[in-house]
Amino acid sequence: MPNVTVTINDRKTDVREGVTILEAARSTGIEVPTLCYHPDITIAGNCRMCVVEVEGWRTLPAACVTPVTPNMVIRTNSPRVRRARKSTLQLLLASHNSNCPECERNGNCELQDLAEQHNITINPFQTGEKPSSIEEASPGVMRDNSKCIMCTRCVRTCEELQSVAVIKPVGRSNDVTIGTFMEKGLDGVACTQCGQCINRCPTGALFEKSEVEEVWDAIEDPEKFVVVQTAPATRVGIAEALGLPTGRNTGQMVAALKRLGFNRVLDTDFTADLTIMEEGFELIHRLKKALVDGDKDVHLPMMTSCSPGWVKFIEHKYPQLLPNVSTCKSPQQMFGALAKTYLAEKEGVDPANVVSVSMMPCTAKKFEKERDEMRDSGYQDVDYVLTVREVARMIRDMDIDFEHLPEEKYDRWMGQSSGAAIIFGATGGVMEAALRTAYEVVTGKEVPFEGLNIEPVRGMQGVREAAINMPDEMAEGFEFLAGATLKVAVAHGLANARKVMDKVAAGEADYHFIEIMACPGGCLGGGGQPIPTDPDIRQARARAIYDEDAHLPLRKSHENPEIQALYAEFLKEPLGHKSHELLHTHYHPRED
Amino acid sequence: MAEEKRVMLGQEGPETGSALRKALSLKPADVAFEVREAKLLGRGGAGFPTGVKWVLAGGASGERKYIICNADEGEPGTFKDRVLLEEYTEKILEGMAIAGHAIDADTGIIYLRAEYPYLIPRIMEARQNLIDQGLLGENIGGTDFSFDIEIRPGAGAYVCGEETSLMESMEGRRGEPRNKPPFPTNQGFLGMPTVINNVETFAAIPHIVLEGAEWYQALGHGENSGTKLFSVSGDVENPGVYELPLGSSVCELLELAGAEDTQAVQVGGASGATIGPDELQRCMSFADLPPGGSVIVFDESRDMLDVLENFMEFFVHESCGQCTPCREGNMRLLDAIADLKAGRFESKRQLKPYFQLAETMRLGGKCGLGQTSSNCFVDIVSKFVDLPDDAKGDA
Amino acid sequence: MARSAEQIVEEGLSRYGSGREAVMQLLTDVNNELGYVPEEAMRAIAKAVGVSNAEIYSVVSFYSFLSIEPRGRHIVRLCKTISCAMKGSADILDALRGELGIGVGETTEDGRVTLETTSCIGLCDQSPAMLVNDVPHSRLTPEKACEIVRGLE
Repeated sequence: MPNVTVTINDRKTDVREGVTILEAARSTGIEVPTLCYHPDITIAGNCRMCVVEVEGWRTLPAACVTPVTPNMVIRTNSPRVRRARKSTLQLLLASHNSNCPECERNGNCELQDLAEQHNITINPFQTGEKPSSIEEASPGVMRDNSKCIMCTRCVRTCEELQSVAVIKPVGRSNDVTIGTFMEKGLDGVACTQCGQCINRCPTGALFEKSEVEEVWDAIEDPEKFVVVQTAPATRVGIAEALGLPTGRNTGQMVAALKRLGFNRVLDTDFTADLTIMEEGFELIHRLKKALVDGDKDVHLPMMTSCSPGWVKFIEHKYPQLLPNVSTCKSPQQMFGALAKTYLAEKEGVDPANVVSVSMMPCTAKKFEKERDEMRDSGYQDVDYVLTVREVARMIRDMDIDFEHLPEEKYDRWMGQSSGAAIIFGATGGVMEAALRTAYEVVTGKEVPFEGLNIEPVRGMQGVREAAINMPDEMAEGFEFLAGATLKVAVAHGLANARKVMDKVAAGEADYHFIEIMACPGGCLGGGGQPIPTDPDIRQARARAIYDEDAHLPLRKSHENPEIQALYAEFLKEPLGHKSHELLHTHYHPRED
Repeated sequence: MAEEKRVMLGQEGPETGSALRKALSLKPADVAFEVREAKLLGRGGAGFPTGVKWVLAGGASGERKYIICNADEGEPGTFKDRVLLEEYTEKILEGMAIAGHAIDADTGIIYLRAEYPYLIPRIMEARQNLIDQGLLGENIGGTDFSFDIEIRPGAGAYVCGEETSLMESMEGRRGEPRNKPPFPTNQGFLGMPTVINNVETFAAIPHIVLEGAEWYQALGHGENSGTKLFSVSGDVENPGVYELPLGSSVCELLELAGAEDTQAVQVGGASGATIGPDELQRCMSFADLPPGGSVIVFDESRDMLDVLENFMEFFVHESCGQCTPCREGNMRLLDAIADLKAGRFESKRQLKPYFQLAETMRLGGKCGLGQTSSNCFVDIVSKFVDLPDDAKGDA
Repeated sequence: MARSAEQIVEEGLSRYGSGREAVMQLLTDVNNELGYVPEEAMRAIAKAVGVSNAEIYSVVSFYSFLSIEPRGRHIVRLCKTISCAMKGSADILDALRGELGIGVGETTEDGRVTLETTSCIGLCDQSPAMLVNDVPHSRLTPEKACEIVRGLE
C-alpha cells in the first residue's frame, strides 16, 4: 500500500494508506485512549473514548474504526475532543459499580486508569450505588454485570477467537446487559470455561472463581499435607502477574510457593512428561491397530486431551469425534491421581490428608477438577485450582519480595521434568514433545530436526501442519511404520480448532495426530494468565518458554529419571493396568 | 393564502408504468444521472443526494445488487410513508423498479415496520397488479431487465430506520448501526452494493423520470428541489399529510393545518428542532430546519417539559444501547428532566454538564439517533424553560 | 390444530431458506402465531442457520415486538408517544388497565389479552391510537378502547 500524508496534532506524518486514525496516531507515538478496542478481535467502535476531531467533519469520528484519507487533518486532544472524552468517561463511571477497593481488578483496570488519567474527580451524572450482581453457578468463570461497561470485548472474544458465542448483548438501550441464552448462566450453556473473556475484560466484570481462601485454610491446617503442582506456562506468567517483565522465573516461583507454606512444591511438568509417555504410546498403539491389524474401529486422527476447555468444546460441538480424543487425562489430572496414590505412599502420608492444589494458567482447569471422572485415586484427585493471578495475590498478601527471591528447586518424586514438558505451555508444544519421544521410540534415533527444535509446529499461525517422514530402518517391533509419513496438525484458539474439526468431520483430513489448545497461543495465553494479553505479550511468553527448553539438560520426556522411576516402581509400563486405572479417562457428549 | 402543491399526492398521477417504460428506454447510468441532476435529497430526513447513491451503487461491483425501500418510519409524529404505502403503492414499487434498472439490481426489498402489518395485503396486491401488467417480474417490457419485490418485516425498533441497522436487521441481527465506511452503495445488504431510499424518495422517482430534472428542481423554493410531504399532528385543526414545495416556511404549513395559540413546533420529529412562535418564518429545508417529515404543534396549554420528557423516554426506549453516549446519555438527560420538573435546578449554569453531555452525544454518537436525540433537550431547555442564567450559590 | 414452534420454524425454513437473512421472518412467524418466541423455536432457528442459541436470543431481546415470555391470545399495544400522549393516551391506558384488571406488560389471568405500550405507531393524525394484534384502532376514547378489548375472544 502506498503512503499518505496526514497531519496529527499539527505534525505532518506519512502513514500507510488504509490504516485507521488510531493506528496512524500510535505509529507516531501519539496515544489515543481506547476501551472497546482490543488488538485480538474485530473493531466495534462503541465506547467512543477514541473520538478525534477531523478538519471539515461535522462529528467526531472514532479513531479506531475510521481509515485515514490523504491530507486528513486530525486532532486527538482539541477542546471538543477532551470534553467529549470526559463526558463519555463520566457516563461510563456513572453506570459502573465503582467499588474499586473490593474489585479483583483494582490497580489493573482500564477504566480506573482512564478515569485517573483524564482527571475525573466529580461526576455530575453519578446516580448512587450499583450493587454487585455476581453469577455464582459457574465453576471457573464468574460475571458481575454491575462492573460491565458494554464494550463487548468478551462477546467478540467468545465468538471470534473461540467460535463459542455463549455471551451476547441481551435487551436494548439502557437495559442492555451481557447475558447467556435464556439467562441460563455460563454453567447452563456451552461455555468452555476457557476464560479468554476474562483476559480481555477492561474492568472487573469477568473474573475467575477464587479458591484462595480454601487454599489458605488447607495450608493453615496442621493435619493436612498440602502439595502444589505448577503448570508449564505458569513460570512465564507469574512475574507479569506481579508487575515484573516477562521472563523465566521457575526458581523464584518455587521459592515463593514454599514461603506460602505448601508442604511440597512439585511440577505439572513431571506429569506432562508422563502424558507424553502415555499419549505417545497410545498414538503408536492406534497406528499399529489401524495399519497392521486393519482394525476398522480404531479412531484416527488422534487428538490431544490436555486442554480442558478444548475437551468441553468438543463434547458440546463435535460429540461424534469424541472417540478420536486421546484417553489420557490432562497432566493436571494425572498429577492429581498420582498425588493421592504414588506420592502419598512415597511420602508416607495418609492420602485422606493430602490436599492437592494446582497452579494453572487456566480457568477451565477449575471445571476439569470437578468432573465426576476425576476421582480415580479414591478421592477428588485435585482439590483446588489457582490461576496464576490468584497465586500472585497470595504472594502479595504475604509481602514476599518475588523479584529478589533466591531460586529454589522442586521437591522430589514428582518434581523433575524435561524441556519437552515445559513447551507444553506453548501451542505446538505437546506435538513437539510427543514427536521427540515417539519418533525415538519407533526409530531408535532422535527426531531429524536441528537441536531437537521442531520448527514447523512452532509459531502463532492459527493452524499449522507438518509431515514427518519415517526412515526405512525402524526400531524392532515398529517395522510397520518404515517409510511412512506421519501427518500432524496443530491449532490454538477454538475458532481454529473448529476449522480443523470441520475438516475431520467431513472426512477431508488425513492427519494422524492433532494438537488442540483452547487458548490463543496455547496455555501461555490461558484464561488464568496475567491481564492484559495481546500478540506481543504472548510472543514474549513463548520466547521465554522455548528459551527454558533450550537451556535444560533434559529435552525428552522418556529421559526424565523420575518418570523412569515411576514406571519401574509403580506403573510398570505405558498403557499398563495401573495407567489405565489412574491416568486414562473417557468423555461424554454435552448439549449444545 | 398558503397552498399545497400536490405532485406525489396528485389526484391524477401519471399512468402506472409510463415512467418505468421510459426509464427502460434509457441507459441505466442516464437514469441515475437524471435523478442526480434533479437534486432529490433523501426524504427520510438525512438528505443525502439520491442520484449520487445511485451513481455510486451503479458503478460498484458485486455478484448481486439490492434496492431497499426503507419503510421503517418511526420518528414520533411521522406517518406520511404509511399514507403513501396505502394510497400510492404502485408508484413506490415503480420507483423501486426504476432504481433497480439504474443500478442493475434484480431484487427490491421493502423493510416494513412491524407497526404497519395491515399494509402488507395492499403492497402484495400492488405487486401483483404490476406483475400482471408486465411491470415487475422477468424481462420487463420485453427488455432483459428483471425485477421483483418482497417485504421483510421489522419487529419494533426505531433505530432500524437508520440504514445500516436496517440492513443488520434484514440479515437477522440486532438492529445496531454499523461503522462507516464501508457505505451501503459499496457493501450493503449481505455485503452487496445496495441503494436504500425512503418510501417518499421512491414515490418522487416516477415524476422525475417522466418530467425531467429541471421540472422537478423548479417545484421547490430556491435551492430546494422538489416537493416534500409533511405529517402534521398535535394541536392543529386538521392533522394529516401535506405536500408543499421544499423550503416552505413553517407558518405556511401551520396555516394549512389550522393552528392557533402556537407555543412551539417540533420540526423533524423528536430528533429534529423545536422552534418558538418567533421562528415560524424559518424554512423547512435541509439548509435550515431539516424536514424529516414530522411536524408536531404545541399550543400554549402544553407544558414543554412534559413534551421533552415524552421525547426523552422515547429515546431511552429506542436507543440500540451500543455506543456509550446514546445508551447512557439519554438516560442521564432523562434524569435531568426529572430534576427540572422537580425544581431541583436553580439556574441554567447548573445545567452546564448536561449541555456538555448533549454536545458529546451530538458529536460522538455512533449514528444519527445518538447524534440527534439530545437536540430536543437543548432546544426545549434553552427556549422554553424559565431559569435564570446564574443563581446564588453557583460557583 | 395449532402448530408447534418447531413446525412453524420448519415450514418457514422451506419458504425463506436457512440463510442468516431468514431469521427475522422466522422469528416474526413464530411470534405472530404463538404470541411469543419459545426456547425451542430459538434453538431450532439457531441450529438451522448455524449460529449459537445466545445469538438468536440476543436478537429476539432487541426487538420490542418479539417476546420471550408467553403472552395472551390478543396483544394490545397502546401508543404512548407524543401525539397520542397529547390526545389523552394516559386516560386510555387507565381505562384499559381498569377494564382488563392488569398492568402494562401483563396478561389477563384467562390468557385472553396482554396489555403493552409502544413507541409511535404512525397514526398520529388519528390519535390516540393502538394496535390490537395486526389491526389499528384510532381516535380512541376510553369507552371505545374498552369496548374494543371487551370484544376480543
